[in-house]
Amino acid sequence: MDWLRITRERSGWLNSHRPKEYNPHMEMDLQINVRKNGTTRVIDLTGEVDAYTSARFREVMLELIEEGGQNLVINMSKVEYIDSSGLGALVGGLKRVSERKGRIVIVCDQPQVSKVFEITGLEKVFPIYGNEADALNLIGGEDK
Amino acid sequence: MTSKEEGAVDSVDISVPEEFALRDEVRWLKSEDLNLFGYLRETMNKIEPAYVATYPPSECGIATFTKDLSSSVAKYTPFSKPSIVAIKREHEIEPYERVVRFQIFKENKQSYLDAAKFINDSSIDVVSLQHEFGIFGGPDGEYVLDFLEALEKPAVATLHTVLQRPSPNQKRIMQEMGRLCQVMVVMVRLGREILLDTYGIDPKKATIIPHGVPNVHRVSAASVKRALGISNSRILSTFGLISRGKGIEYVIQAMPKILEKHPNVVYLVLGETHPGVRKHEGESYRNMLTDTVNRLGIEENVRFNNRFLSLNELVRYLCATDVYVTPYLSKDQIVSGTLAYALGCGKAIVSTPYLYAEEVLADGRGMLVDFESPDSIADTVNRILDEKELKEGLENSAYTYGRRAAWFNVAVDYLDLFHRVITRHHAGVAEVKGAK
Repeated sequence: MDWLRITRERSGWLNSHRPKEYNPHMEMDLQINVRKNGTTRVIDLTGEVDAYTSARFREVMLELIEEGGQNLVINMSKVEYIDSSGLGALVGGLKRVSERKGRIVIVCDQPQVSKVFEITGLEKVFPIYGNEADALNLIGGEDK
Repeated sequence: MTSKEEGAVDSVDISVPEEFALRDEVRWLKSEDLNLFGYLRETMNKIEPAYVATYPPSECGIATFTKDLSSSVAKYTPFSKPSIVAIKREHEIEPYERVVRFQIFKENKQSYLDAAKFINDSSIDVVSLQHEFGIFGGPDGEYVLDFLEALEKPAVATLHTVLQRPSPNQKRIMQEMGRLCQVMVVMVRLGREILLDTYGIDPKKATIIPHGVPNVHRVSAASVKRALGISNSRILSTFGLISRGKGIEYVIQAMPKILEKHPNVVYLVLGETHPGVRKHEGESYRNMLTDTVNRLGIEENVRFNNRFLSLNELVRYLCATDVYVTPYLSKDQIVSGTLAYALGCGKAIVSTPYLYAEEVLADGRGMLVDFESPDSIADTVNRILDEKELKEGLENSAYTYGRRAAWFNVAVDYLDLFHRVITRHHAGVAEVKGAK
């Protein structure tokens, strides 16, 4: 399995928006790990997908699509919350994969996060699964 | 969208981020990808709430709350049109934003009926009513009942005041609202208990959604202070619309004792006099405060900023604050927007034990002091300034609690509630039609 760890240090956006006396222990954050599964890329998110972090998430997602990742599984099992800016980033990713006839599938077992998809109606736009195996089965990535 | 003010703080970005919201993202798609735009429009949930309340540029806490709530909810509903029905005095001219689609003249009863008709005839599908007795016309604001009686759409009332000892008329109004609204929202558990015990509101109709707070990530107070040019000071602050009930004089009286131990403390009193208060008594309260400051000879250590502050200004001052104080005098106060904001910014908070503070500052999220007690304030502030671990513990607990109440979480709670109310209302209407 191919691992790529995107750290804070790689994030140009965060660096440019960081106060000079930045203290990483005082800021909640989003960790983004990327795994490769055939032609599918699995993005593990841990933390908060909000206005502070969603630009970085979007950046990673678009980079992966540009690199040829046609289908994306976004694993949000360790996401504490996602706000409208995080949803906006997902819609941006959806636009890009749609152009390549790909898809985005969400893995989420957190009721608070699922609720956001439910009340916006985005659960009809992004298929949501309780576990990663089911999501990969849908997307057919395991066989590739 | 809130933007960072240029030049005010040059090294610390503490503007409140609102960019990249779903609503904007979808709008951006419109010109570039009509297929996806059409698909999203077909599949995403639509909801058209109307908010009946005061609204900026009116300067009051409820107006700010309404703007925050409506814009936070709107970010999740890119294909819906929020509407504001603004309550104002008939002779005042308010340069409202376009989102204000109807105006209620506070003391004009017919205006309430006209507003209900406007909503009934529109595509609005739920009403979010912000209630405080004083913002509506008639005795104890009873014209709100005329509006609700005439309204044919489901209504959710958010209560900004829940009196423990109401007058008979206030009690009647609240009970009637309980009958006419589908749900009543309070911001703390205690408020719900009062609704049930004092007013006999159906428990199924009373729900709790916390007061929203801005999405603020923490930065060190030291860095913000440096940017503000107050690096060597330790900051106490209180903000909001100033009026006698705030008890600010007791913090000022506590200052000499605080300064004995911490001579570099500066107390910032941020905000203008409440416009309603100014009308009746001018600046007499503020003058009394400045007289006290002069009498105590602490002009250098107590500063006033007599303006209605923007959200970014508030957040900036809060980020620079070491101890936030709400010395309010009314035990019955069931909500405080300023205290909620301080929690959201993760501040060490000292407060008198009014109902809201007692509940949200429990479990080590803040420290309570006696009402009208400069000694109690001074001792507690000194302890926090002396004990670094205590201060950090308070800050962390406050921030964790405040995070749950960030506006984007509160907006989801309201949207969820709106959906349930609308669904139930439609089911009820269908049932009535079926029975006919």
